Amino acid sequence: MIEVKDPGLWTTVQDMGRVGKYHLGIPPSGAADKYSFLIGNLLVGNPVEFAALEMTLIGGEFEFHKNLIIALTGAPMEAYLNHQPLSLWETHYVKEGDILTIKACPIGVKSYLCISGGVNVPDVLGSKSTYELSQIGGFCGRKLIAGDRIPINEPLPGASKQIGKFTPLEFVPSFHHFQELRVMMGMTGYLMNDHALKTFLNSEWSVSHESNRVAYRYKGPKVSFTEQHPPFGAGNSFSNVVDIAYPIGSVLFTNEEELIVLQNDATTGGGFITIGTVISQDLDLIAQSRPLSKCRFIAVTIDQAMQARAERTKKLDALVHLIK
Amino acid sequence: MFNLPETHFNFGGDEYIYAEISRDMRIESNFKALAVTDELRKREIPGIIDIVSSNSSYLVRYNPDIISARDLLDYLKEIDLTKSDPTKLHFSVRIVEIPAWYDDPVSKEFSYRFKNRHPSPDLSDFEFVMKVNGFTDKEAFIKCHSETPYLITMVGFLPGTAWHFPLGLQPNEIIQAPKYNSPRTETPERGIGLGGAFNVIYPVNGPGSYQLIGRSAIPVVDQNNQLEALKETSFLARPGDIWKYRPINESQYNKISSEVKTGKYRYKMKEIDLSPLEYAEKGKQYVRELMGDF
Repeated sequence: MIEVKDPGLWTTVQDMGRVGKYHLGIPPSGAADKYSFLIGNLLVGNPVEFAALEMTLIGGEFEFHKNLIIALTGAPMEAYLNHQPLSLWETHYVKEGDILTIKACPIGVKSYLCISGGVNVPDVLGSKSTYELSQIGGFCGRKLIAGDRIPINEPLPGASKQIGKFTPLEFVPSFHHFQELRVMMGMTGYLMNDHALKTFLNSEWSVSHESNRVAYRYKGPKVSFTEQHPPFGAGNSFSNVVDIAYPIGSVLFTNEEELIVLQNDATTGGGFITIGTVISQDLDLIAQSRPLSKCRFIAVTIDQAMQARAERTKKLDALVHLIK
Repeated sequence: MFNLPETHFNFGGDEYIYAEISRDMRIESNFKALAVTDELRKREIPGIIDIVSSNSSYLVRYNPDIISARDLLDYLKEIDLTKSDPTKLHFSVRIVEIPAWYDDPVSKEFSYRFKNRHPSPDLSDFEFVMKVNGFTDKEAFIKCHSETPYLITMVGFLPGTAWHFPLGLQPNEIIQAPKYNSPRTETPERGIGLGGAFNVIYPVNGPGSYQLIGRSAIPVVDQNNQLEALKETSFLARPGDIWKYRPINESQYNKISSEVKTGKYRYKMKEIDLSPLEYAEKGKQYVRELMGDF
């Protein structure tokens, strides 16, 4: 068990997400930056889907009530074990009574505290991930608060062999204030004219403060919608379509000056123009982008999207080989 | 009625295929979406993660490490073209009564709180919806809105949310409204929203972009499983069900709310068989027969 002394800004239990429930309006949830999350689990010798803690901007303070093996990955939050600096991207042995203090990160947003054996909360609809809007899963369906006692499974047999393992530098993501996000164009983008689509692709967009695990909002130049009649049933605005089920990563234009990219806790459907979908790999980048940071969208084909996917799989396979 | 144009397919990133049956909303598109997704579910294809039937489209999430994107696309096209005849569908569904307090004070308060995102900031959502549909009399609007039965054409947004679309009406008879320019960050739980030609009841306090015209006295989601009708899945809405509003006043609203709180409230429901073929053939007349004296 670990005891939450200070929950930080926004800490939840997450795993690889909830599948097969989208038709009920239940989004996948799960770790926002899956790359960092996966590496954390690999370091502590867990199967990749084991649940961990996801921290946002400021980590918090935790007391261990058991000897455990842990790893911190993701945004470089300043971390201390019993007041001694603790490095990210490698495994550490912690003893009963140890206090882990995790402060803010200067770049990036999300960090992961992975623990050998994994966080032990009940599966809800097939996952341990927290979906806060509807209070489903995780620790009591909510973010952690001071005094929570989080059950942790026994470390896996052989986990102690992982102590001292670290992530080689070339596998550690760099967190930038500017990102290139790959998007597959399509969906209901036919309601925007060519000029608007060009403006979307040729401009810099800035992350707004109203961004979270549900959606990221961006501000940028004004794009103009095609002045064609919206489809019947959609409503009169040029930004409206007959409501559809949105893919995670959908790029929506709710009006001519704001775009939204849906994240893992997305509202699963709606009626705004959807001009495309950010590829799954790049959702990790979005989750690590801070308010006011900038990005550009790059149009890719299905083959390029699959290539990006294959490259990441290859990279993670190489890492597994190195740290096992 | 079931002579539909060809479905338009799109890749949504590396994990989704989006199939658009029609751009416009029509009941027949919805029946087709239900037919295709039914067929797809029956096949239990490994690597398909989520199958979502929507208003006039459907969405499939898959694992491209298991199925190739292009192979799945070909497979979906075949089902869509040859294995999804909506006239063969027969649904066993329920008619459910929703007691609704129209133009309630909470909806009004939210209208004013988010008026900077509203297409017509000087009017409350309710006044706006009346105005854009040419109503001057509140009671006439309420009568018109509550007399029509609504078919649940899509479930999603937040768990328990159901889009419902009027049954048996011509497009020009349907009450419609533009959505907010930018979604509200908050919406009252059980708020009744209208956007485009669709209605929703917001299950919990969350974001939303539909015009708030009233409040349901009964919940559409019950995580604690206190209410008999919601015990099975926690959610009231099922695709293909029919919802019917009953206008109520403040004191009736309070009475029902307290019955809900103590777990005593019994939803008014009736089981029926819904036939897309009969709907196609008889239209409004069929809807009248279905509803009976409900």
